[in-house]
Formats: sequence, C-alpha cells, structure tokens
Amino acid sequence: MSIGWIILLPLCGALAAPLVAGRTRAASAWAAAAATATALAVALSHAPAVFAGETVQLLYPWIPAIGLDLALRLDGLAFVFVLLVLAIGLLVILYASYYLPAEDPKGRFFALLLLFQTAMLGIVMADNLLMLLVFWELTSLTSFLLVGYDPSKQAARRGARIALVITGAGGLALLAGLLLLGHVVGSYRLSDVLAAGDLVRGHDLYVPILVLILLGVFTKSAQFPFHFWLPGAMAAPTPVSAYLHSATMVKAGVFLLARFHPTLAGTEVWFYLVGGVGLTTLLFGAYTALFKHDLKGLLAYSTISHLGLITFLFGLGTPLGAVAGLFHIINHAIFKGSLFMAAGIIDHETGTRDMRRINGLWKYMPYTATLAMVAASAMAGVPLLNGFLSKEMFFDQTLDLDLLGGVAWLLPAAATLAGTFAVAYSLRFIHDVFFNGEPVDLPRTPHEPPRWMRIPVEILVALCLLVGILPQQTVGPFLEIGASGMLGSPPSFDLAIWHGFNAPLVMSLIALGAGVLVYSSRHWLFATHDRLLPRTSGEAAFERIAALLLHVSHRIMAWIDNRSLQRYAVWLVLVVLVLTAAPLVRHGLTLDGGLAGEPVDGVSLVAALLVAAAAVATVVAARRQRLLALIMTSIVGLVVSLTFIHFSAPDLALTQLSVEVVTTILLLLVLYLLPLGEIRPTPRWRQIRDLVLASAAGLGTAALAYAMMTRGYEPISRYFLEFAKPHGGGTNVVNVILVDFRGFDTWGEITVLGIAATGIYAMLRGLRLKAPTRGIGGRPWSADAHPLILAMISRPLLPLALLVSVYILLRGHNSPGGGFIAGLVAGTALILQQLASGQQWTGERMRLGYFTLIGVGLAVATGTGLAALIFERPFLTSAYTYLSLPLVGKVEVASAMAFDLGVFLVVVGTVMLILENLGRLTSGRTQTAPVSPGEER
Amino acid sequence: MDFNAAELIPVLPEIFILVLASTVLLVDLYLRDDQRGLNHGITLVGLLIGIGLILALGGGERQIVLSGSFVRDPMSDTLNAIILLVAFLAFAYSKDYLRDRNMLVGEYYVLGLFAVLGMMIMVSANTFLVAYLGLELLALSLYPMVAFDRDSKAGAEAAMKYFVLGALGSGMLLYGISMVYGGTGALDFPTVAASVADQGLDNKVLVFGLAFVVIGVAFKFGAVPFHMWVPDTYQGAPTSVVLFLSSAPKIAAFALAIRLMVDGLGGLHADWQGMLIILAVLSMGLGNLVAIAQTNLKRMLAYSTISHVGFIFLGLIAGTAQGYAAAMFYAIVYALMAAGAFGVLLLLSRKGFEAENLDDLKGLNERDSWYAAMMALLMFSMAGVPPTVGFMAKLLVLEAVVRVDLVWLAVVAVAFSIIGAFYYLRVIKLMYFDKPTTLEPITVGAGARVALSVNGLAMLVLGLFPAGLLGICQAAFA
Repeated sequence: MSIGWIILLPLCGALAAPLVAGRTRAASAWAAAAATATALAVALSHAPAVFAGETVQLLYPWIPAIGLDLALRLDGLAFVFVLLVLAIGLLVILYASYYLPAEDPKGRFFALLLLFQTAMLGIVMADNLLMLLVFWELTSLTSFLLVGYDPSKQAARRGARIALVITGAGGLALLAGLLLLGHVVGSYRLSDVLAAGDLVRGHDLYVPILVLILLGVFTKSAQFPFHFWLPGAMAAPTPVSAYLHSATMVKAGVFLLARFHPTLAGTEVWFYLVGGVGLTTLLFGAYTALFKHDLKGLLAYSTISHLGLITFLFGLGTPLGAVAGLFHIINHAIFKGSLFMAAGIIDHETGTRDMRRINGLWKYMPYTATLAMVAASAMAGVPLLNGFLSKEMFFDQTLDLDLLGGVAWLLPAAATLAGTFAVAYSLRFIHDVFFNGEPVDLPRTPHEPPRWMRIPVEILVALCLLVGILPQQTVGPFLEIGASGMLGSPPSFDLAIWHGFNAPLVMSLIALGAGVLVYSSRHWLFATHDRLLPRTSGEAAFERIAALLLHVSHRIMAWIDNRSLQRYAVWLVLVVLVLTAAPLVRHGLTLDGGLAGEPVDGVSLVAALLVAAAAVATVVAARRQRLLALIMTSIVGLVVSLTFIHFSAPDLALTQLSVEVVTTILLLLVLYLLPLGEIRPTPRWRQIRDLVLASAAGLGTAALAYAMMTRGYEPISRYFLEFAKPHGGGTNVVNVILVDFRGFDTWGEITVLGIAATGIYAMLRGLRLKAPTRGIGGRPWSADAHPLILAMISRPLLPLALLVSVYILLRGHNSPGGGFIAGLVAGTALILQQLASGQQWTGERMRLGYFTLIGVGLAVATGTGLAALIFERPFLTSAYTYLSLPLVGKVEVASAMAFDLGVFLVVVGTVMLILENLGRLTSGRTQTAPVSPGEER
Repeated sequence: MDFNAAELIPVLPEIFILVLASTVLLVDLYLRDDQRGLNHGITLVGLLIGIGLILALGGGERQIVLSGSFVRDPMSDTLNAIILLVAFLAFAYSKDYLRDRNMLVGEYYVLGLFAVLGMMIMVSANTFLVAYLGLELLALSLYPMVAFDRDSKAGAEAAMKYFVLGALGSGMLLYGISMVYGGTGALDFPTVAASVADQGLDNKVLVFGLAFVVIGVAFKFGAVPFHMWVPDTYQGAPTSVVLFLSSAPKIAAFALAIRLMVDGLGGLHADWQGMLIILAVLSMGLGNLVAIAQTNLKRMLAYSTISHVGFIFLGLIAGTAQGYAAAMFYAIVYALMAAGAFGVLLLLSRKGFEAENLDDLKGLNERDSWYAAMMALLMFSMAGVPPTVGFMAKLLVLEAVVRVDLVWLAVVAVAFSIIGAFYYLRVIKLMYFDKPTTLEPITVGAGARVALSVNGLAMLVLGLFPAGLLGICQAAFA
C-alpha cells in the first residue's frame, strides 16, 4: 500500500473512534489500536525498500501556485521515527484504555490522540517544508486539546494554554524560517533543500534562517529558556505525557535538527547556538529534576535534560554526534515512555504523585517496582541498559572537540556533572518511591495494576534490556538506516557494549559514584536549594511578559486610541502632513511649477488678508462666542463672493452670496438651540499643538494649490464657451451648463433636494425642543420675539425681493442669474417674513404648500425634459426660438427657461421647508399653536 | 456618443441590485409590522439571483462599457459574487437579532442593499470618479446603519465619529483624485495608467496625488494610522451592522486599492510601496498589540481587523500578480472569517442582552458545543493556525513578500502574528475551559444555524483545499 496510508489510517481512526465510542467500553480503544496497527503494518511493508537504501516517495500537487505539494517521503530517518511513533502509540493506546476512568467517554480522547499521531507522522514523513509546518502546528494544537483534556482542572487549563502559546509561537517563527529557507533554496521540496546545504550555509540569510528555525525547535523540544511549558503540560493524563511529552512531540524539535543536519549544521553559529542551548538545558534540567517532589515533575525535568543532551549532540555538527543523538532519541523514548507509564500506574494506584508521601511501594507492587527500577537505571545510564550506550557515545563525543581550545576540559566536566545529577534523580525515583520507609497518608491502598496495564511497560523495559545487551543485533540496523537517511552516508560507528577501559567509562563511573553521593546528601541539598536559589521560573517570566504586553497595549490605547475624536483628528492631520511631505523631501520636489502667476494687486491682497484674518478670528471666537464666530464665517463668505466678482464671475458671486445668507440663517437657528454649557478650558500646550498642526495643514494645502496651479494645464472652459450659444442658446455659460450641458445632473440634483427636504421634514416632525430662556452670559432673551420695526421694514421688502428674484430668473439664460439663485433669493425673502413677524402670522398668509412647490417644480423640470422626446430628441434637449411680443419686441424663449423655472420652484420649496421646520423646533416660545404648512391641506 | 443597449448587459447585476433595493423600499410601504419578514425574504432571494446573474454573465474577456467608465473582468466577477455572498450571509445571520430589537424594518435592507450596490460599483469602476461614487454610496449607506438603533447613545456617537472621519477620508481621496486629474488630464484608469507610464515621476504633482489617494484607500481599509474610526464604530454599532460593515466592505476596499493603485497608478508602484509598508507594519503592530488589552469582543475584533488589513497590504506591497492574488485571497477569506465571528456574537445575543464582551463567550462549549467548535475554527483561522484557511492566507501573502526580497517584512509580520495568536487563543480558552455564566441554551433560527455551520466549516474546507479559490484569485490577475 502507498505510504500515504501511514498517515491516512490514523486519521480514519481518529474519525472512527468517537463514532464507535458508544458500542462497548473499549470500542474506541480497539478502533484506535486497529488503525495504528494497520498503519504500522503498512510502514513495515516498506521496510525492505527502506533497508535497501531507497527513499519511498509520494507526490500529489496540492497548491502548485506556491509550491505546496502533498509530498511524503519515507527514508531511513523517517522510517525510524514512524516506527517509534506508531509502536509507542500502540502501547499507549493499550495503556490508556485501562488508565482512563471506565465511565469516561473515551471517544474524544482517542480521536485526539490519533489526530496527534497523524500530525506527528506528517512531520516526520513530510517532503515539503510548508507541509511539514502544517503538521507541526497541528501537533501543537492537538497537544493543547490533550493537555486540557480535563478542563475542570485549573492546572490543566493553564498548562494547556502556556504550552500552546509557546509551541504555537515557536511554530510561527519556524514558518518564517522555512519560508526564508525555501526562498533561498528556490524550492520547498525537502530533497532540494537537503541538497542545497552549501548554498544555504553560505547565504547572507543563513543566520536569520537558523535562528528562526531553532526558535521552533527549541520551543517544541522544551529547551532552555522555553522549557517551562513542559512541566506545566504534565497536568495532562499520563498516557498523553508518556506519548507526547516523552516519546514523540517533544522529539519533533530534535527531529528537525536531524532532518536539516545536512543543510544547516556544521557552522560555528550552529555549534554555539545548538550546542550551547543543549548543554545549558542538559545541566539545568538534570539539576532541577532532583528537587522536584512531584513524580511527573521529576520525569518532566529529566526529559528536558535528556532533550538538552540530544540537542547538544546534534549541536556538535559532526556525523558521529548526529548518530549518537539519533540513538539517544530512540533510547530515551523507550525508557522514558515506560517510566511515565509506571508513574501513571503509581498515581493510579495510590492517588498521589508526591514523592514525600509515596514511599515503600516495593511491598505493595513488587512487580511494577522492578520494571520501574530497570527503566530508571536505564535513565541513569547503568551498564547493560540502553541508556548506558548512548550516554557513553555522548561522553565520548565531548572528549575530542577542538572547537573550544583551551577550555576543552569544560565539556567533559559538564557532561559528567549532568550524568551525576541524572544518577541522583534516578536514584531518588527508585529509592524514595519504592523504599524509604512506609507510605505517608495515601488516599488509596496501593496494589498491583491490572495485567494489561502493565504489559506496555513490560515490553518497553524488555526493549531497554535487549538494546542494552544486544545493541548491534537489535537497534543497529535501524540506526544504520536512520543515519543514512539523515546524513546520506552514515559514518562508521561501534555499538559494542564494551570498548575497554577508556575515558567515557571513567566518566560514567565518576558520575555513578558522585550521583550516589549527591543523593545521600539530598536533605542538606534540598534545604540549601530552597534557601539559596530565588524562586524564579520560566512560567513566571512568561506571565511577566504577558503582563508587560498588556501594559504596552494599554499605553498605546491611552496614547492613540483614547476614543476622543479630537485626538483622532490630531493623529490624522499629523500623518497626512508627514505622508505628503515625504515625497517633497524624498524627491526634492520644487513647489514652483514655472508658470507665471498674475501680478498681485492691492484688492486681491486685501481680500486674502481679510479672509485669513476672519478665518483665524472664527477659530478664536468659536471658543467663547458662537455668534461672533458665525459673523466671522460670514465675512469669509462675503469676501469670497467679492473675490468672485473681482475675477469676473458674477454668477458664482451671486450664488455664493445667496447660499451664504441661507446657511447663516440655518446656523443661527441651530446655534440658538445649542446648550450654553461651560466649555472646559483647553490646556495651553494643546492650543499650541492645534495651532501648529492647523497652520501646517493650511499652509500645506496652499502650497499644494500653488504647486498645482503654477503647472501647465488645459482648461476645459473653451469647449463650453464655444458651444454655449450655438448648442444651448444662451450666453451665460454657467447657466447653460446647468440647464443644458449638465441638465441631467441638475435634474437629478433638484430631485435630491426635494428628497432631502422631505427627509428633514419627516425627521423633525413631532420633535419639540425646549427653547433656552437665557442667552450668553445668562442674559434673558428679549420677550419681544418679533420687534415691530423689523416687521414693518420687512413687509415692503417682500414684493421687491420677489421681483428681483423673478428678474434674476428670467435673465438667467444670457446674463448672470438663473433659477437656483432666484430660488434662494425668494426663499430668503420669505424666511425674513417668518423671522420678523412670526410663523403664525406668516403661516396665515402663506397659502402655498411647500410640498406643492417642490412637486410642481419637479414636474415642470421633468416635463421640459420629456417634451424633447416628443420631438424625437434625447431627454432634456433644449430648444429655443424667438417670439415677437407686442410692446416688448423680440424675446428669446428657450425651453431651458421652463426647466429653470422648475429649479426655481424646487429651491424655494426646499429652503422654506427646511428653515421653517428648524425654526418651529422651539416654537413653544415664539408662538402657541404651530401650524405646519405641509399639513395645511 | 451613441448609446447602445447591449452595453447594459455587463451592468445587469448592478442594475438588478438597484431594482432589488427599490423593490424592498416600495414593498415595505405596504407591509404591516408583522409582515416585515418579507423584506428579509425578498433580499435573500434577490441576492441569490444577483449571484446567479453574475455567474451567468461573467467570464470571458474584459469588457469596458458605458463610455469607458465601467469594467467587467474576472476580478469583478469574482469579487462581486463574493460580496453578494457575504452580504447574503450577513443578512441571514441578522434576522433574529433585528427582530428582537425592533430593527427588522425595510430601511435596514434598503440601506444594506444600497451599500452592496456601492461596493459592486467600486469593484467594477473604470474611472476614478466612478470608484469614488461607489465608495460614497457605500459609506453613506453605512453611516445611518451604524446609528440604526436610534435610541442608542453609543450608536449615535459611533456614527458621528465614523461620519466625521469618513468624510475626512473621502475628502482626502477626492483631493488626491483631483491632483491625479491635474497631472494626467484624465480620470479613467487606462488613460491615467498610460499617462503615468509616459511621464512617471517627471510630473511631480502625481506624487502628491498618489499620497492622498493612498491615504484615502488606507482610510477605507482602516489601516493604522487611519484606523481610529474602526474600534469605536465596531463597539458602538449594532452587532448586525458590524457584521455587515466588517466583512464585505473589506473586499470592496481591496478592489478599490487594486483599481486605483494598480490599474490606475500602477506605474508609481515604487512610490506607494514604501507608504504601504509603513501602513502595513503599523497596522499589524498596533492592531495586534492593542487587541490584547480589550475586554470588549467587538472592539477586540476591530483591532484584529486592523491587523488583518496589514496582512492584506503585504500582498499589495509585493506588487506582483502573485501578490495581488494573495491579497485578494486574504481579503475574501477575511470577509468570511469576520462574518462568522460576528455571526456567533449575533447568535449569542438575545432580547435585551447584547453579547459583546469576552466574558459572554465563557463556557460556550457547555452551552452549545457545535457553535463553540465553529467559533474555535474561526478563531484558529484568524490566528492563522493550520489547517484552517487563515493559515493559507497568511502563507500566501508572506510568500509573495519573501519572493520580492522583503524578507524583513515577512519576519516582522510573523512576529506580530505570534502576538496576535495570543488573544485569539484567549477566546478559545474562554469557550472551552471556563464555566459559563449562564446555562441558557442558544435558540436561533435554522437559517442562521446553517449559515454559521457553512461559514465555520468553510474555514476548514478552504484550508484543506485552497487551490480552487486561489486559482480564481490568480485568474483575476493573469
């Protein structure tokens, strides 16, 4: 069968386990075991090919666009790991089915376990960097769920979270590293990467790649200073610890070291980074393990220490070191797996894992005790057991190293020291638990576990012995193919158990003797340890970093995102200034575009200064007196319209003027309603800041305008000037544009005006606001809302104003004017009546409904447009002719005139509707019975 | 220019949505209060028909119609269809929420549909002005939607901020467009592009125009430092509106960026690349860092949006067809993720109770393990954990960036996503490991349940089989 099945079968098992969970008690365990066993059989069926030195490969394109293929490879190294993962997986499944409480629904557990197995197999078999990464993250994820399997336990939740954050973050670092690696090599295929060792090592990006990948490795394999998640993860059910945290997942990191050995290893950076971290972890883990009273805590730190040892061996960068590392991976998986299972049995049978309470278990469970003792001896490196062999290789490796020069003796010394502690904590595991007097206050009376729970331990311990005594016959061939898969051509190594009386043996003996000494003086050591060493831990550091991040986060929020619109605006303007100034600086742009401007005349200068002064005054006044600010803005508007006149644009000036009047009234109505609360004084620095920013933004805009206008451009006015008369029948180009060239736009606009007015009417309907009784400075408003003089003056004004507006409307097509301006003028005149004489008075006399006005206006404008269709011309085509009227003489009549009339009506209606309804908001004060003109009819 | 009715065919989907919105507007007039659900039905069916129209009319050569102001190409086909799809999801999620709050009225659907129309116009624009018109149609529809709960002070404040800042952003964009016009004498993308290619940086006014266009685009994306409206708006607006606002408009913003900065000002890539790099780094940094401190889930997701925008920018920065495709993939995926995440919040809200704090997710697994699983998928996807599609999206943009030798940028992006993973995982922890504050079961309509299931599972399915979507994205830039 294809090697794809090695991964697919556990995945199928993961899906099947929860499905069959309800059938019988062990159904999901059986399903899991069957899937694993079948996968193992598939793997073994490829053994002949692998032993023959072949690399079995499988390739499906997945996302060819980014070079991500479903590519698997089964070479020697992968094969060794596949066997490890599957075989120990099988034992763990057997063990777990007895370990977990009988009433527990095991479907979820086995599903997760097999999912993890799938991911782990994916890591070791991936032939594509990105795929490797996907599986890598999957192991973190499933491990998270497995550690937190029992969410009712606080420790489990915490452990799961920390483990996920650390390994997940490491995974992302690895992602960056692998992306870079793939980029440098030009391919994500592992085969290509492995062949490109010299290219990578010589590349500028080698160090970043190495550091990023190592971050992934160190976090996953619990290397110092990322080791602390592993003891925390011990809150997981023991089968999980045995599987993930000793035999497989934590080995994924060192697996990467093995996998990338040909590509990355062999440089000094590699040696110092990998070797240094490995050695530190080795010593630190071994030392700390001795002081752990929790059985699993001791095993966890011992695991960290052994992982450090393996890392160190790979860090040497020598082929022999790598082989020793691989050998120790296998050995460690075997003895540590059995030790975890034994610890689980003890926990299971006694109800506690505290070594200060579980003593003298030899009497209660001699059989388990024997097994555990053998495994612990393997961990300590006692001869004739597997741990001894790889440890000898390790000692041997530390001896002939010339990289360190004068201080070369340090390495063997450190190695021996680590060995000493290993012996001491192994001794503690054996002596404290199985001897050392009577158990203290155990929750349960211990006895031997069920037979099937012991079997996995028995098998593993038997392997310890077998490998220890007959290494060449048992593990030899696997090591051979593993090494050739890893290095291409394996170095010659010797697996004999007796090499003669040499230095490594001496070191072993020293370690054994010193270890016994250390253990016997443990009481003194414990006391000193507690007294001298501060209680710091990586976990605390982790929490501190998390707290620090939170702090930074709050600071940024207070600084930038404090929910104040003003603050936002400050940032906004600042950034816009920087971003737009950047090209100026970068490209050395000059603002002057070279086009000569018109000479500055006195009038323009005065006007400019006036506008500037009024603008500044507006800002200053707005803080205290709104009315004053409003007057200042009006000055700006007025001067702008004068400027239009100065530059011969009477049309614009008229429009500007009438709009100015209407908006001022609008603003007056709104200002009247605004509450007169105290304005909090702004601190001086903020005023200055705002002043600087506003000035800079203003000057910047002016500079940009200058830059734009001093550059050549093609004005679009020529076309309109040329065709206004022949096509539109008018000489007032602005008006012709409005009613003819852009007639469709105007038509749409007046429709929008009507809709807006209706909308405002609908929103304000029924809304009544309490009118303020006092104005600025607490002065009461005059009781006389409609002074007689104003009323009297305004009344004769109305017919005059209306006449003017009709005049403006009629002349619009050829001279400055038009429907829009006329509408504004008429509207203003009508509003004046309301202001002067009150709404009631006006309402009684104003018989025209505003909605009617708007409606008629729209109808007239639309009708004019449609009329063109009758003559088979497109919508809104204008026509004009000349009529001879008696007395008046020849008069030009353009259809545009009717259109303009529509505009006029709509504008009048809209202005009136909006202003009147705003004015009525507070009608409680000015009149008693409000009459809505819209509802009159 | 003579008008040719055949030119309307590529515009039919847009016309259809316009008709749909008007139909809802009119039908709503004649509905009694207990019949308002009909609006919902019409809208959903209409959106499906719209998707059908796009699929039926789409494909084939690039077509430019309506005097060169409208374009239909593979990108517009894909993005329009997905915008309609995401809008469909958004409406499907919202019904119960709206009904419980007396907001199930015609206006909501009308405004939503006009917003959709605005997005479609942005996607299909072939001139600066048409793009701007689409943008404004979208924005003006969204402002009132944010304030849709008229009695909510927070909503009004959010809408006000959104409006003031949004108007500023639009103004900047328009200012930039005017300068581009001044520099090139044209507004349609092909002519501008040709003119830019012709004169390049010789016409230095273009650089200013470009700066303002970039600012406007960044504003609409909500990229730091133009992000301020995002958190406040998300927090203040009704959740259903946030769902709408945070999903499809991101796709439209992506289209806007492509149309303006690639189709129009592609010749200035070297210039806008630098600006986008700054914006991207700031967005990823600030978004991820500040998200950590949030206790309000909506606000947290707002900052998460900001950081995702940084990632979308990465693809644009690359400036290659592959990069654009990656950014498009990311934008689409992000819209789906956001729709799902806010969808869960909608489902958790009940009458008189707004689910918006992180604590409201506590123990979700015990209350409804299916929703918890879907939310977990969405969070993992946002965090970029394989095999969810979020990982693929991140991978694609990172790959694009690495390919143009911006290695440091990729490393920075990864560093920030490590920080980002932290707060997404906190959501998972809350759902799975904490005790629920209430054991009230979650009751929602079948429609929303199906929508969420599809949405959540899509994270996984797209993550496992991303080639299809990626292929579509690549076809848009082939």
